[in-house]
Amino acid sequence: MTRRGVITMAMIVVGLLLMGYGYFGGAAQWCADAVSCSNPRVEWSPAIFVLGVIVAFSSALYYTVAKDEVTDEVARGKQQ
Amino acid sequence: MTVQDAHAPDERREREETELPMGVGRVSRGWIAFVGLAFLGVVVGIIGFLTEQGQGLVGTGMRDLGTMGGATWGLYITLVIYFVGVSFAGIMIAALIRLFNLEHLKGIARMAEVMTVVALLLGALAIIVDLGKPVRGVVNLFRYARPQSPFFGTFSLVITGYLFSSLVYMYVTARRDAAVLAARPSKLQGFFRAWSAGYEDTADQRARDRRTTFWLALAILPVLVVATSSLGLVFGLQVGRPGWFGTLQAPAFVVLAGVSGIGHIIVLAAIVRHALHQEDRIGVDAFAWLGRFLMTLLFVYCYFVAVEIFTTIYQPAVAEQRIGDALLTGRYAWLFWGSIVTLVVPALLLAWMAIKKQWRIGWLVAIGVIVNLGALAKRYLIVVPSQTHGQLLPYGEVGTYSPTWVEYAVMIGLFSLGALLVAIFMKIFPIIELADADTDPDVDDGGAERPEAHEMEKEVVS
Repeated sequence: MTRRGVITMAMIVVGLLLMGYGYFGGAAQWCADAVSCSNPRVEWSPAIFVLGVIVAFSSALYYTVAKDEVTDEVARGKQQ
Repeated sequence: MTVQDAHAPDERREREETELPMGVGRVSRGWIAFVGLAFLGVVVGIIGFLTEQGQGLVGTGMRDLGTMGGATWGLYITLVIYFVGVSFAGIMIAALIRLFNLEHLKGIARMAEVMTVVALLLGALAIIVDLGKPVRGVVNLFRYARPQSPFFGTFSLVITGYLFSSLVYMYVTARRDAAVLAARPSKLQGFFRAWSAGYEDTADQRARDRRTTFWLALAILPVLVVATSSLGLVFGLQVGRPGWFGTLQAPAFVVLAGVSGIGHIIVLAAIVRHALHQEDRIGVDAFAWLGRFLMTLLFVYCYFVAVEIFTTIYQPAVAEQRIGDALLTGRYAWLFWGSIVTLVVPALLLAWMAIKKQWRIGWLVAIGVIVNLGALAKRYLIVVPSQTHGQLLPYGEVGTYSPTWVEYAVMIGLFSLGALLVAIFMKIFPIIELADADTDPDVDDGGAERPEAHEMEKEVVS
């Protein structure tokens, strides 16, 4: 796998982890009846979830825009 | 022949080589008038919003449920649902075009993407104007939104994930065109260069773009359905609100979203086709595809409405009966039956066109406008009557809600802002994807008329 592929996959995984952390760091889902469970257990957990979504989709940007020097040079060479 | 005449072809060729396609970078009097009008509408909206900020929400027609006999959700929430619906169909169509390589629809892909982004922005703004303290509301969403609430899905997936993924999708799919335009000297060259971000039109890059758009489309489609369903679940999960609680809310939201969005795409595609003389790129076959899709969604939605009415009138509880009476024969009857007519008649007209295989663009545009009016009315009827007539607590039987001029002004402002943004986009970037022939001299297809499109054109009497 190229460096581009590795970083892209890493961004998707980090994004999903952030989404999971943000989701489960929110108000506890298993004790919905208790008032103390109403507030998020992790500060700004919804923002962390949103950040995860953004990181995951940003992987597409990185994948298309980033230069992968070896393959790009080969491709240019082939065109010439 | 004069010397001037002899130079004319050279000048024309030079102009064609330097001018940007699709009217980008050039403004006409008609465009200026349209933008001026839209800007005026935005000003009206800002005046409405500032008035609301000065007076508080008492400047609107919204009042507390029960104690004040009103509705806390009114025209603004109707607009939120409506705009999210419009955005749903835009990105769905764009994703389907890339996923299934629907060549005859490629002419409408970018306008569908633009429509999605603009509609989502308008949806987000409609939520903001609905809040008494907009800044506090937005900040608190990022701090305290509860995963248990369907609002969490609406806020995290619709407004952020959905908007961001649509922007990424639009950026990636338009990058190649930006690179082509960056090579031509123009005032917008720097902008195109920034957008293209070092794009090199190699086979490797094209393959990468195809992979990216495929996987993005695949990721966006389920997000779309979940996000739009979560908006339906905001209503459908409220067990204490007769008229809202029900299993059909989420799927009906998705289907009606498709109806209003496709209606919008038809209208926008017809305007672009006519204004930019792109009859070859947006053929009648594209309109026929949209018409068939719209017809299917309309029949499915009419079925949902029929089931809903039957369930409401068969053996209703007291509060359900009150809402049912208000809709069928009471205060909201004119709006309810009006919306039914604006959905059923277009469905039948589309079926007739499908049977006859005669797709008239003028009729389709009219249908696109009518189903949007119907969809807007239907959303109003989903939001309001359950609050005014669905009271379970003994505060008095029915309430009232009528939007004030402030709400109407904000609505005009939002629609005008949408029109303004699309009009401006059309002048800074091609609203239709450049044909391969424009970007690759070796490819001889691009804007060429397809035989099947030509055959269809013959069938149609415009």
